[in-house]
Amino acid sequence: MSGKQRYGLGAAVAVTAAVLTAAACSAPGASSSPAASGSGGGSGSAAAGPIKIAVVDAQSGSNSDLGQFEWRGVSLAVKQANAAGGVNGRKIQLTLYDDQGDPTVGTELARKLASDGDVAMFGTAESAVTVAMGPILKSEKIPNITSGQSTALTALKSPYLFLNGPTGLTYDTTLAKYVVTTKGYKKIAMLTNNDSYGAGEDKAFTAALQSLGVTPLMSKVVPADQTNMTPALNAIRGINPQVLFIGAEEAQSGLIVKQARALGMTAVIAEGAPAGTPLYMSTAGAANANGTIVSSPYLGNDANAAAQKFAAAYTEAYGSAPELHGAKAYDGAEIMISALQACHACTGLDLANAIRAVHYSGLLGNFAYDSTGVGIFATAIGVITDGKIKPVS
Amino acid sequence: MQSFFQTLVSGLSFGAVYALVALGFSLVYRTMGLVNFAHGAVLMIGAYVASTFYLSARLPFAVAVPTAMVVTGAVGLVIERVLRPLENKDFDLMLIGTIGAGTVLEAAAILIWSSSGRGVSSPVQTSPLNVAGVRIPAYDLLVIAVTAVAMVALTLFLQRTKQGAAMQAVAMDHEAATAVGIHVGRSNAISFAIGAALAALAGALVGPMLYVSPTMGDSLGIDGFAAAILGGFGSVPGAIVGGLGIGVIGSFAAQWFQGYSDLVTFVVFTVLVMIKPTGIFGERTVNRA
Repeated sequence: MSGKQRYGLGAAVAVTAAVLTAAACSAPGASSSPAASGSGGGSGSAAAGPIKIAVVDAQSGSNSDLGQFEWRGVSLAVKQANAAGGVNGRKIQLTLYDDQGDPTVGTELARKLASDGDVAMFGTAESAVTVAMGPILKSEKIPNITSGQSTALTALKSPYLFLNGPTGLTYDTTLAKYVVTTKGYKKIAMLTNNDSYGAGEDKAFTAALQSLGVTPLMSKVVPADQTNMTPALNAIRGINPQVLFIGAEEAQSGLIVKQARALGMTAVIAEGAPAGTPLYMSTAGAANANGTIVSSPYLGNDANAAAQKFAAAYTEAYGSAPELHGAKAYDGAEIMISALQACHACTGLDLANAIRAVHYSGLLGNFAYDSTGVGIFATAIGVITDGKIKPVS
Repeated sequence: MQSFFQTLVSGLSFGAVYALVALGFSLVYRTMGLVNFAHGAVLMIGAYVASTFYLSARLPFAVAVPTAMVVTGAVGLVIERVLRPLENKDFDLMLIGTIGAGTVLEAAAILIWSSSGRGVSSPVQTSPLNVAGVRIPAYDLLVIAVTAVAMVALTLFLQRTKQGAAMQAVAMDHEAATAVGIHVGRSNAISFAIGAALAALAGALVGPMLYVSPTMGDSLGIDGFAAAILGGFGSVPGAIVGGLGIGVIGSFAAQWFQGYSDLVTFVVFTVLVMIKPTGIFGERTVNRA
């Protein structure tokens, strides 16, 4: 083997080793600063050093955009709190962990948090990952504020688990009521995907319609990674519904609308939170997204003075405007900080109880947690007009 | 019947994209005997580059696409150069190298363009054609036409040019090709570059049909790989037929089996490959790297 070949082989091996090393390191935000006193393993007050809190979200894979939104929202709130003096004079130190949107990776990280000295956790943005992590976080006594909205989260009955927004049932009940009662639509078709979010939406919206005496004309399911929705839409087009309800994540929802309009479907689109995001609008196209009815607790950055202030700070920090996920994460972080201040940086069950005791008026509304970990029970209706959500009066 | 033809049209549109992906897989395989597992990620890079030129630099789509093909072709050259020391030596390490290259490209895309996807507006704004109730988007026709042109151009290149003949000679017997003065490394590099350019073409064309994201190459890569195998790995016409086949099977599976369409598509694919392991066009197996 010549020297040149050895060099080339060495370079290839080095690249491979670098890739494998990068893949093995699932904590891109890991910090080397001194560990906070007090782990998640017990209850009580910590003494000194920074208060370590984990942010667990997808930073790679198909849901990494949600993870990025959540990280930014939490980081902004913590940055503001630290600038204002922190909690009892102690700074909050965030550590970012990449769960890759994978429940298995999530459970591995859940076991790692206590040994890393994290006293609480923000995330994840995917209900399935949070559900998988829930029992471990409960046994480690680590309070967790998640962006998930599946009712499977509340079914865990963990005293350490809290949602930073309403459950899917709230989104869909409000939406169904507006579509059926206010607008008078009765011919409704549904198209959902088969992941945990889509399945939850299918169940929740069907139940909400049935409570209003309406049965969907047709309900179709597509795989969560499906890109060609035309066959399912073609079947729905045949029954000419007044409304097409979509239960899928942002990008797939946008694709569904784009392909529905290309088929000549004129049905009104109705959806929960994903339709209120920039990704939905850019994927669907502004013209196609026009008229979409959205059920969301955060109807854009101009909805009120608090939203405008948050949007200005977020835009200054990150150079782009926030959306629902960033706002939810910000509210969750504010609630956690309030609880830490109220209980003097306590940990474990004491911190969980302090979170439950917080009454907070945030970007999404007024939070007051019940025993299931849900703190907000209302969404509002908006309609997308010229690329923005306009609240329905 | 209208529903049948509508499903067929959508299957052919996506199938044309799979065919382009399969062409890239097949070209590299027939030249080097290597399955390039970075191909899906290369497609994604091509889609991002094309959309950047089209949306940010505001170049016409017809200019943005060839520019992206050139840029992405250069990426293909870099991948080949990194893997070259392993050519004809360690096949398994080369395969792992392509997987590593794909991971690096995905991470690079997140660093450059962020993890959020982006929608790409269609460059063809005319209304869909309405043929007896079957709506055919004009852009889909463009994609099918471009795929046909790419297939013809690649066939002519391989059969009518000196470089194309050299690449085929390397595929048949690289030692004999070396003995008659053909530069095997250069031949492989050109193969990788053309394969990457074809992936970029697929990515650029599929952007307005779907959306561009760092993970878009995953499923497109798998479908394109399946298309290449179905058509006969290494065969140019096989890649086209395989691509259209996977597109149409997937489309009808989606209509009839809803959430289980992926499962059904690949069960059908597996059965077809079991019946004819060499694929529809059944080229002989290349076994070297």
